[in-house]
Amino acid sequence: MSYQYEALGEEGLRFFGKVTASIAHEVKNVLAIINENSGLIEDQIFAASKGRPIDPERLGRVCQQFQKQINRADQITKNLSRFAHSVDQFKGDVDLTEMAQLITSLALRTASAKRLNLKVAETSTSAIVKGNPYLLQNLLWVSLLAAFAACENGSELTIFAQSRGETGSRLELRSTPAMDITQAAEILAGQKDLFSAANAKLVPDLHNSNLVIELE
Amino acid sequence: MSEKILLIDDEEDFLSVMSERMEARDMEVATAASAKEGLAKVESGVYDVVILDLKMPEMDGLEALKKLKEKNPELEVILLTGQATVQQSVEAMKLGALDLLEKPANMDDLTEKIRDVKERKMIIATKKNEEKVKQILASKGW
Repeated sequence: MSYQYEALGEEGLRFFGKVTASIAHEVKNVLAIINENSGLIEDQIFAASKGRPIDPERLGRVCQQFQKQINRADQITKNLSRFAHSVDQFKGDVDLTEMAQLITSLALRTASAKRLNLKVAETSTSAIVKGNPYLLQNLLWVSLLAAFAACENGSELTIFAQSRGETGSRLELRSTPAMDITQAAEILAGQKDLFSAANAKLVPDLHNSNLVIELE
Repeated sequence: MSEKILLIDDEEDFLSVMSERMEARDMEVATAASAKEGLAKVESGVYDVVILDLKMPEMDGLEALKKLKEKNPELEVILLTGQATVQQSVEAMKLGALDLLEKPANMDDLTEKIRDVKERKMIIATKKNEEKVKQILASKGW
């Protein structure tokens, strides 16, 4: 147990910091848009006090923008909440597809730096592992960052969560065009402790240039 | 003469409402949804002030600021950020930013800064013209 805590320590804090900073940035962007739209209403009121008619169509668009940003902030908060609650249990059942959906939502802004299109493949059967939810999220996060570095700008990166039956589950990161798998593997080689703590193995698929993580 | 502004931000909804509010304050506003697009606009246009988001995909605000200043050292740039670290603030000032403001920014404060820039530019331009006229008159024996 102490080994998992150590792995959680440095890398885990780094992961925590990056994710929460990214969320804070997103929230600030939403607030900025709401603030400016609120200011637009003030401008209209001021103009009306000087005899200019209020533009109902313009105000209608402002209301739509408020709704859009509220929906956006709601989704951001849901993601934050799910991320926060991932430390509720030290060990539990983790649905890898759901986890991948959360982590890709959190990693979207980082992915946009290289115009990457990030997707989670839908599966008919669930891939569930027993493990530390936060640690597994951290593992997928660092794997995604390695894949981002190894992908060309504008690539489509898809995450597949698959069950391997009694032997466990796996996460596969596939890129079109193919990523530089040796670069990704080299980056992840520095995360040996994290992989060990998460009972995971990095098994790069050199033939297809896919990043594969096997989980027990 | 109205102030010419270039807004650079990857949030299109933000660009749209900011530019509308600035235009209502008689400013001429151009927008760019990326640092790359912004740099191209600075190449082909003349602006009094560039308002630049600090955190953008592909090229961040500090890198963009550096490139903007390389193209035009006289260009005034105000950075907007969700959360400025002390390090970023220091770096921005070292690179020659006029100011670093936290989002959501106060429109009145922003407008005041922009108008100050325009006023300073006009004073400098007026002084230059005065000097030129003096020289011309002096050369004619006035």
